[in-house]
Amino acid sequence: MDVQRLKDNFQHVGQHGEEVALFFYSDLFVRNPHLRDMFPIGMGGQRDKLLGALVRIVSQVDDLPNLVPFLQQLGRDHRKFSVVESHYPEVGASLIATLRYFSGTSWTPELEADWSAAYGLVAKTMVESANEEAPIQPAWWNAQVVAHERRRFDLAVFRVVCDQPLSYLPGQSVAVETRLRPRAWRYLSMANAPRPDNSIDFHVKLVDGGPVSSALVRDLQVGDWLRLGSPIGQLVLDQRSPRDILLVAGGTGLAPVKAILEQLGQRANPPRVHLFFGAPEVDALYDLEDLGKRATTMPWLTLVPVSEAADAGADGSWRPGQPPGVRQGLLPDVVAGYGNWHGHDAYVCGSAAMVEATVHRLWRLGVPQDRIRYETFLTGQLGNPLGNQGEVR
Amino acid sequence: MNLPVPAGAARLTPNEVLSAAFGRAPLGRRGLDEEQVREFLNRVEMELRQSLSERAALTDEVARLRDRLSGTDGEAVKPQDAHLQAVRILSQAQQTADRYVADAERYTRDLAGEARRQREEILADARSKAVQVLEDAHRQAAMAAATVEPPRGGVDMDTAERELDYIRTSSRVYRTHLRAYLEALLRNVDEWEKSESTRPG
Repeated sequence: MDVQRLKDNFQHVGQHGEEVALFFYSDLFVRNPHLRDMFPIGMGGQRDKLLGALVRIVSQVDDLPNLVPFLQQLGRDHRKFSVVESHYPEVGASLIATLRYFSGTSWTPELEADWSAAYGLVAKTMVESANEEAPIQPAWWNAQVVAHERRRFDLAVFRVVCDQPLSYLPGQSVAVETRLRPRAWRYLSMANAPRPDNSIDFHVKLVDGGPVSSALVRDLQVGDWLRLGSPIGQLVLDQRSPRDILLVAGGTGLAPVKAILEQLGQRANPPRVHLFFGAPEVDALYDLEDLGKRATTMPWLTLVPVSEAADAGADGSWRPGQPPGVRQGLLPDVVAGYGNWHGHDAYVCGSAAMVEATVHRLWRLGVPQDRIRYETFLTGQLGNPLGNQGEVR
Repeated sequence: MNLPVPAGAARLTPNEVLSAAFGRAPLGRRGLDEEQVREFLNRVEMELRQSLSERAALTDEVARLRDRLSGTDGEAVKPQDAHLQAVRILSQAQQTADRYVADAERYTRDLAGEARRQREEILADARSKAVQVLEDAHRQAAMAAATVEPPRGGVDMDTAERELDYIRTSSRVYRTHLRAYLEALLRNVDEWEKSESTRPG
């Protein structure tokens, strides 16, 4: 296999950009109409994911220590999309046809043989890792909604019960699909430590124009069924650390942080924990009531709600709808101004801007980088800790 | 692979991109005016789409002309060509579908953004009105207290207590009115939201 020849050819074909992915899927569906139903109606995002994965695979084709784990994860991820072994040759045929079409006169039998061999290896790695996982855990979990509470016009908290045990670490997330938006998977973080009754809480914020988040916030009903993929994510508690804990959550970034908080509460001797929970508007601090209740039973927990729009007016003045004790300001500023976080482990989750600013401030305050764990969500809604690789299909 | 493009839409020029200027974000926020930037990005996206679809159409045209030159035009359609035609037709259909989905998402995003802004305005307005009502009440209470005649000689406890009662009652009434007013406003917002979620399409 001539690796350089493959890379050169892919570079040449790649100049056609999105057209390549458009051609690939059309070719795949003309040859195999039954596969169309496995994909969402709008294919724009799908094409980006395909190109992203192809670029990564081709650029790492001679770097197997990095490529193989990526392909194995990709193979496991595809189980929840109902992808089976027999789909792989069909995809391979369309991939070769696409490369041939865009290569024009530069296509040779040698090139075709190289691509076939390379694709064969990719498919083999993906299929093997999917097959290895199959006896251990299901391709997806079915989960029924048992409670759905709208906390604000754009915020909802809901609880599901899984049809079989789903083991995960607090702070992790799963891909979620609702029948209201078939075949559109989004990542949501579990908002609780695992429970014996297999119930899981999720927090969702409606993103303007976001088809899945709007369905989950506005239209999801008790009794509805969801599908959940397998848990992923690195924002998990360092169980061996004896240090005190700083938790910082912006908006629905609270979900994984709350799961970690529950996990800490299960310890015989919990460390001292500070939880900063921030949102632009005071009424977007959607879980303050529950957090406040917990704080009264957890003497080791200090809860600090933060809002830019909090009314910092004179004490005793009437502040419509504002719960007591909300600190005014931006989350990173308030956290940094609060004290010395030197001997703490920090866990941060929220929007990219909030997380970046907070991590930077903590680092400048002398918190070592390896004691700060963080995660961002892309559009304020659904975090995908693995970038786009989790949804490539 | 031509896409429907709004007729007569002004095309974006490289110069416009080069000289694009954005306002500062509104007070209290950092960076550039997000609205302006997003609007501009929409225009860039439209232009890119149109350019790409024009390029695809030109590529097809070149292929057609080449075929004609090499004399393959007019023959019976080969199976390979039929397949490519099918792929092309499906691609066009998919692009149209993608366009509709993207337009619908943009539309809901704009609509929801606008609703969000109006909600903020209404709430801010209600808040400042509430504060005003409260201040008025305090002022009137203070005035009432000032005009109560100071007790002369023998203390007229009865009168003082009646005045105090009156002030307490009126402040309670004010509060009740205020609460009712705010609740009515919140109900309005709820109904508005509900009507939006039940609106078809």
